Amino acid sequence: MLDSVFALAQGFSVAFEPTKLLFALIGVFLGTAVGVLPGIGPALTVALLLPVTFKLDPTGSLIMFAGIYYGGMYGGSTTSILINTPGESASMITALEGNKMAKAGRGGPALATSAVGSFVAGLIATIGLALFAPWLVEIAIQFGPADYFALMIVAFVTVSATFGDSPLRGLTSLFIGLMLGLVGIDALSGQARLTFGVPELLDGIEVTTLAVGLFAVGEALFVASRMKHAPETIEPVRGSLWMTREDWKRSWKPWLRGTALGFPIGSLPAGGAEIPTFLSYTIEKRLTKHPEEFGKGAIEGVAGPEAANNASAAGTLMPLLTLGLPTSATAAIMLAGFQQYGLNPGPLLFAERPDLVWGLIASLFIANVMLVILNLPLIGLWVRLLAIPQPWLYAGILVFAAMGTIAANPSPVELVMLAVFGLLGFVMRRYDYPIAPMVVGLILGPMAETQLRRALQISLGDPMALIESPLAATLLAIAALALVAPVLFRGLSRFKAEED
Amino acid sequence: MTQEEDGRNDGRKRDPVGFAIAAGLLALAGAVARDAMGMGAVSSYAGIGPSAASWAVAAGLAALAAGTIVAAVRGKIPVPEQSDNAAVLTILAGIAAMIATITAGGGFIPAMALLFGLTARGFGRRALATDLGIGVVLGLLVYLGFTKLLALSLPQGPIERLF
Amino acid sequence: MFRSYKSVAGAVAALVVAAGLSTGALGQSLELKIMAPAAPGGGWDQTARAMQAALTESGAVKSAQVVNVPGAGGTVGLAQFVNAKGDGSQLMVNGFVMVGAILTNKSPVTLEQVTPIARLTAENQAIVVPADSPIKSAKDLAEALKADPAKVTWAGGSAGGTDHIMVGLFAKAIGVDPTKINYVPFSGGGEALAAILGGKVTAGVSGYGEFEGQVKAGKLRLIAIAAEEPVQGIDAPTLKSEGIDLAIVNWRSVVAPPGLSDEQKKALLEAIDKMVKSNQWQETLKAKGWDDAYLAGDDFAAYLKNEQVRVGEVLKSIGLVN
Repeated sequence: MLDSVFALAQGFSVAFEPTKLLFALIGVFLGTAVGVLPGIGPALTVALLLPVTFKLDPTGSLIMFAGIYYGGMYGGSTTSILINTPGESASMITALEGNKMAKAGRGGPALATSAVGSFVAGLIATIGLALFAPWLVEIAIQFGPADYFALMIVAFVTVSATFGDSPLRGLTSLFIGLMLGLVGIDALSGQARLTFGVPELLDGIEVTTLAVGLFAVGEALFVASRMKHAPETIEPVRGSLWMTREDWKRSWKPWLRGTALGFPIGSLPAGGAEIPTFLSYTIEKRLTKHPEEFGKGAIEGVAGPEAANNASAAGTLMPLLTLGLPTSATAAIMLAGFQQYGLNPGPLLFAERPDLVWGLIASLFIANVMLVILNLPLIGLWVRLLAIPQPWLYAGILVFAAMGTIAANPSPVELVMLAVFGLLGFVMRRYDYPIAPMVVGLILGPMAETQLRRALQISLGDPMALIESPLAATLLAIAALALVAPVLFRGLSRFKAEED
Repeated sequence: MTQEEDGRNDGRKRDPVGFAIAAGLLALAGAVARDAMGMGAVSSYAGIGPSAASWAVAAGLAALAAGTIVAAVRGKIPVPEQSDNAAVLTILAGIAAMIATITAGGGFIPAMALLFGLTARGFGRRALATDLGIGVVLGLLVYLGFTKLLALSLPQGPIERLF
Repeated sequence: MFRSYKSVAGAVAALVVAAGLSTGALGQSLELKIMAPAAPGGGWDQTARAMQAALTESGAVKSAQVVNVPGAGGTVGLAQFVNAKGDGSQLMVNGFVMVGAILTNKSPVTLEQVTPIARLTAENQAIVVPADSPIKSAKDLAEALKADPAKVTWAGGSAGGTDHIMVGLFAKAIGVDPTKINYVPFSGGGEALAAILGGKVTAGVSGYGEFEGQVKAGKLRLIAIAAEEPVQGIDAPTLKSEGIDLAIVNWRSVVAPPGLSDEQKKALLEAIDKMVKSNQWQETLKAKGWDDAYLAGDDFAAYLKNEQVRVGEVLKSIGLVN
């Protein structure tokens, strides 16, 4: 471990040259600028900007690359908070509370807690990466399909946090999401499901198309429908633009808890960035002292998931660097990037090219700092966006939503889906159906199904395989407890009330 | 929207909306089930094939349809506030015009101008010409940024080919 | 789009003059549109963008633009591509994966409808087992498969993809019923690799590049590659040398729209030929670790036909296509 610290110091000495710092700044700027375009998540941002970095020397390009990566991540959260348009599935949860905050004039604190939370999470996770990577990765590898399935079940149980006040409507939303998850080619058998002969549906439904349709388009329609009777008021700034003492007090624990969830789950080869954000949201909702604010703009609901998202991104670097395993779309693009610099991630990387590895880790630290330096002053500018007259603001949001959808997949079918999901989002809002469970269903459904069938296929159909692994058994027990506990508590408190 | 859900059902008749939602859910369940029936039996060592999840989802949707009917009978479906349908239809027309323009090869910039102009109109603006103009400028900026700086392709029409 | 490339054209002209090259005027005036029938970032997209750079920098064409049309193993892009009948300024990147995807997705448009131009790159397919596996060679693996095909679990890429086809061919080559293989598809290389490293499956199949790092670090045992001849730098026997009659490579190629005139076809062939022989292209191959598998014109057309037949047969015998 001492070796690690020494090597990291060496990495910093390279990364701290003024020109390198400038590259980091440029990278963060470009990443943020492209990342704020809705529909363009960090993976596409990195893919699009990768060629820019090729012109530099390896260390310079690596640093700029780290900057683009963090900038792209943060840019996605910015659109989630400001215009309810998540650029990627992992910042969907951020939109739930963040956009409510923004509309109530608290966009400044929401963006700030997101930036600082990302910084704290990135910092801690990068330290974790530097110190424990080779050791943690051995554990991560032991995760089999049954363990993943159990993890998905835990995530499913937590979805109820997004249900609002009616389990019936929450479940309906979730099941429509699960149905949408069936669409496309089944990963294990190659069979097409619910595609109705439309080739564009064979790849399934894009999470961002659903999220942008339901959130941004649906919201625009809903607000327009109420213009005359109950006009929406958007306040760009109300109270402090910056986080107050209270905001800090309410944010720091969610940051740490989000990091604690995001880093380990992100480092699992099939963990993903979405599950930790779901879990974080649920935990913060349970633990908060202001439960009445959830659903109306609770800062904990932004701080936790944002930290979880960023920590999981650092987590995905662990299997990538130590094993050469790209475990997310972004990681796959990063792998392509590393190969351009002659870096072949894998078990030998730490031994063969320590300079580059530690240089990268140092770059991540610096990019993280640059992100905060660049973006905190920009917050004032961002929230001014909300001062645009409402007709133009929403017209602009729809243009950006359509643009992001076309840029990712230039097909009219995708745009029709965006419109249909927008209309669906509108109808659901009118009848008070929660929207988030549908997106969660689309994300989790296929993952859970694939892992379940994989586990059964390897065990030749023996269901005992699902609980044989101690880890899977523990996770399933947690899920059962989470499901039963609220009912028990409710019964208990009623019992108490009767005694009084 | 529904601060006092329980307080609303007094003396109200059965809500037709609830039944419509239930019928919709049943229709979805039927479509999923039909699709599942059409799947060939794939021999797999897992014991369950691709249709298993379809059946589970279809069953869930059907159960939820039943639940919705019960809720509707009890009058528990929230009653939405008044809606300005003209505004919604104007915006939907904007989205439809955008899709039609792109599909017909009219290009990205006119499509975005139509979307912007009609959405702004839906939100109560009267100066359609001005808004279409703003839409053209916005579309142009986005188009140039995407195609020139990011080398991403966007749909082209007569205007886009000038650049 | 095509009109503002004066600066590029100028640079290209300068390059051409400097190098003293003077091929047919037709090639240099080409303004190409290359379709990558996949999302940005993937293998086909990378190939298309590498082609774009090499084609313009080597002066083989005046300009080149990449268009991404993602979806369904490239079949969405293919369906769109064949509409450009007789257009000699369009190319599409494709490969082995598309041959299978057309069949499994029941695509109404097939590769019969395009004009084959050239095969460009290839990747060797490899079979690995965990380092502590009792299986030491391809023969051991064949024996295990013969003993009980259910108990040999294979990890690889998507259902009906190159890896799956290769496992089917492996079973067929040693006389085991291909419908009986226990193949577990994973999306993306990372997840499959993790399952193999974690010992969750018996064996893994993928491109050699995916396994290289682990093999060199001693965490995976490379038991065979599926090339025709032994490959320099890869320390493993071919399946053929182990007595298993199976050779397969994951190739990528470029095709043109249907209905081209002979001149149009010739111009594209010349442009690609010039690109393949350029320094830029050769350097890209090295940087990305792609093997040069250049095979042009009629030879490639014949090769493509042969692969289509072979893939069709295997997919039928695995039970993915009826």
